[in-house]
Amino acid sequence: MSEYLKTVFDKFELRVRKGYYYTEDGLWISMEEGRVRVGVSDYVQRTGGDVAFVGLVKQGSTIERQGEFGTLETAKTTVSLLSPMSGTVEEANGRLVEKPELVNSDPYGEGWLVTLAPRKLENELKTLMSADGYFELMLKKLETEHGKLESR
Amino acid sequence: MGNWSLGRMKVAKHKKVVVIPCSGIGKALGSVSREATYEVIEDFRKGVTDTTCLALIVSGNEETLQLVKNNKCITIDGCPLQCAAKNVKLAGGDLAASFRVVDTLRENRRLKPKTVTFLDQDGQELAHLLAEQVAEKVDELLRK
Amino acid sequence: MVDLPERKVGIISCSGEGCLEGTISRVATRLVLEKLRPEETVTICLPLFLAGGGEERAFAKYYPIITVDGCDKLCAKVGTERYSGKPAGSIVVADPAKSHGCSRLRSPRELDSKSLALAEKVAERIAQEVDEVLEHWR
Repeated sequence: MSEYLKTVFDKFELRVRKGYYYTEDGLWISMEEGRVRVGVSDYVQRTGGDVAFVGLVKQGSTIERQGEFGTLETAKTTVSLLSPMSGTVEEANGRLVEKPELVNSDPYGEGWLVTLAPRKLENELKTLMSADGYFELMLKKLETEHGKLESR
Repeated sequence: MGNWSLGRMKVAKHKKVVVIPCSGIGKALGSVSREATYEVIEDFRKGVTDTTCLALIVSGNEETLQLVKNNKCITIDGCPLQCAAKNVKLAGGDLAASFRVVDTLRENRRLKPKTVTFLDQDGQELAHLLAEQVAEKVDELLRK
Repeated sequence: MVDLPERKVGIISCSGEGCLEGTISRVATRLVLEKLRPEETVTICLPLFLAGGGEERAFAKYYPIITVDGCDKLCAKVGTERYSGKPAGSIVVADPAKSHGCSRLRSPRELDSKSLALAEKVAERIAQEVDEVLEHWR
């Protein structure tokens, strides 16, 4: 069975990783022992375009839910990254300094952004969507925002 | 950097540097790769550079394959897929240097090319800056 | 099972660096995508398609393709026939009977009014082909 929910729009295959939790803006978290890992969804990277710079807060920074913890700068725009959860940044993905394209090529894997030690995990998890919920939202967005998908 | 005189440097007869853009049709940076190529071959290093269609390389056109095997090649790619660099290499071309538009973009962060069909001012400026870098590499390759 | 998208037509244009007509075919394709038939069309990157790009090949496998070539080498048409099947439509910009030969050319911004007019005319032709393909699809 696939790890992803998938849809095809135009020629693009868009995936949502099962088992992750999502904000409406397309940030995801995955649960790890004692911490959460944060990244952006396939839809976010596809609509944002090829990432040229990733700016992330430093290790040890405290962030609030919906607070900005970084930016993705692409050829055409700058995407503000709003945190799905409150917590302390344990690690920022240093590989993205030299290889920002990992956000595009592997948004659910090597393109992860930060890991957090969450402060209000139980409560804030309730504010996030399941993969199924985000998938439905993404399908709705595709109907209205598909012009943003960057072609090749 | 303006036009450059052929007389200043000895150039092996019939040898040129072939500049090959990815020409990705869906992205602004694909158009930038193409524009930069034209600036190099028609302005900066006219006479000592040439270009060819990537599709002819990929489809195995014999004349094109001979061109890229017998001359040093520079590729310019508009996205991380690097179709031009990969396919020139795969075809056995003499890939002497590869450029990525995104690297020039990273050096010039203020530029945000948005349009694809006809490049906007930022796109043109990015192409021009990249063309200067490619022209320098052409000089280096011709000196060898 | 992956959902297939709605009725769409793929347009594959040649890369066209080698001559004026290649640039015209590229510009015409973009005009169709951006202005004339934005909801109905998708561009397929030819080198990526030829080299085995997954999304490109998958689309071309299931959906009708119109090819636009700048010259008689017919990279887009031949490539599509090889990896997908006969295109639903095929346009060649250079007319051997009329053309005095490919003139080396430059970027789209340097197209003169005659070439731009030709690009627009080619775009209209592509759009007509798209309409015909979609009509038969009903």
